[in-house]
Amino acid sequence: MRGVVAIAQNTVREVIRQRVVLVLALFGVGLVAASQVLSPLALGEGRKVVTDFGLAGSSLLATLLVVVLGSSLLHKELERRTIYAVMAKPIRRGEFLLGKFCGLWITAAALVAGMFAIVLGVVTVAYGETPWIVAGAMTLTVLELGVITAIVVFYSSFTTPALTAFFTAATVVAGNFADDLLYFGTQGASLWLARVTEGVYWILPHLTVFNARGSVVHGIAVAPERLAFAAAYGLLYLLALLIVAGAIFERREFR
Amino acid sequence: MSALRDWGGMVAAIAVAVALVAASGTVDRAGRAQRGAPSRDELLYYPSGVWVRQAALGYETAAADLAWLRGIQYYGEHRLSDQRYDMIGHVMNIVTDLDPRFTQPYVFGAFVLSQELNQPQRGLELLQKGMRANPESWRLAFETGFLHYVGTHDHAAAARYFARASGLPGHPDYAERFAAFAAQRAGDRAMAVLLWKRVEATGNKYMQEVARRELRNLGEGEES
Repeated sequence: MRGVVAIAQNTVREVIRQRVVLVLALFGVGLVAASQVLSPLALGEGRKVVTDFGLAGSSLLATLLVVVLGSSLLHKELERRTIYAVMAKPIRRGEFLLGKFCGLWITAAALVAGMFAIVLGVVTVAYGETPWIVAGAMTLTVLELGVITAIVVFYSSFTTPALTAFFTAATVVAGNFADDLLYFGTQGASLWLARVTEGVYWILPHLTVFNARGSVVHGIAVAPERLAFAAAYGLLYLLALLIVAGAIFERREFR
Repeated sequence: MSALRDWGGMVAAIAVAVALVAASGTVDRAGRAQRGAPSRDELLYYPSGVWVRQAALGYETAAADLAWLRGIQYYGEHRLSDQRYDMIGHVMNIVTDLDPRFTQPYVFGAFVLSQELNQPQRGLELLQKGMRANPESWRLAFETGFLHYVGTHDHAAAARYFARASGLPGHPDYAERFAAFAAQRAGDRAMAVLLWKRVEATGNKYMQEVARRELRNLGEGEES
């Protein structure tokens, strides 16, 4: 366990060294500019528009960060051959992978928390009311990032950075269509097609579970039960991915 | 010395980049002049909200905001030019397909359809869509009553919707007053004046302008 913590700490440091704080600064400047430019154009709906863009922007930026930085995280260790030094210590490959996952997820979560704080600050200053209700949507976004981080780690356990980024992006897109896929599958005539689509549906991550942005902007809070179910689903799903990724990584030959 | 040379190289690279961006902007401007002004019917090509919703990948409400801003811009542009708002119903339908809980586009779209395009029935259809998605919204019920009163002049229906609005959570006091007035003073000019004054006091800037125009038509000066 100490090995996992050490690798996670090291991963956080490594990601921070990539100047992710710049993302926060750019996001803050962008949101302040948007609130100034869009509010007069929105005919009294400025608060909703700024909150919407803030929530969507923070989720999108954090997802991009996880995909872009995460896809090369393992590959760099192999390329620089630093993995040999790590593997020489009493640490299993699975623990190494878990440490990488935790480090990346913690950094993404901190980034999202920072961006949500900016959203709260901008809306409070511009409209005189703090939308605390967005905290529920933020928690779900952090859980969603956990699943996406696990997807990145899974793909990077057996393929190249470019393909990891591509497969992760494709899985995220498909994960947003999972419910539609199930629906269309059941509308067809053939039974086997319905079974296949149902199978694919169960394999894909159900990312809509984590999306409450459309509710909180209209003042509808995320119910604790919804948070609990989303947390349970997300943790089970990411655990499954990490177990498979660990098994693949154990058998991988380093050259 | 070498550090100075490095900085010199950086400054030169930035200067070249700025010049190239400026040149590309100039080329684009020249090309735009050749292409002519953008077509006023460009919103014809806006896809249906159902498809945009699928493509939004979980960011439907932000996409709805973009469509809302575009719709407002469309209305504003045409208000200053030909005063034709043919696509406003289409755009507001897209916005509300993307974000069915966003009530302002139902209200504004219905208002423009009724008062600017003289199509109150289409406006009422948009409001009905809004009430199906937001059955607890007093605002949509109230605006439906308003449109029945000043648009289709169906005073009985107006009274029904005002009464419905006054029974929904969060309704303001005036919803109850209008419910009572509409039942007693159906067709009364004073009632129409009161309704338009309410729009003048609570509507957005475009709705306020229309309200002032209607009040003038009813013989009420701007000072009243």
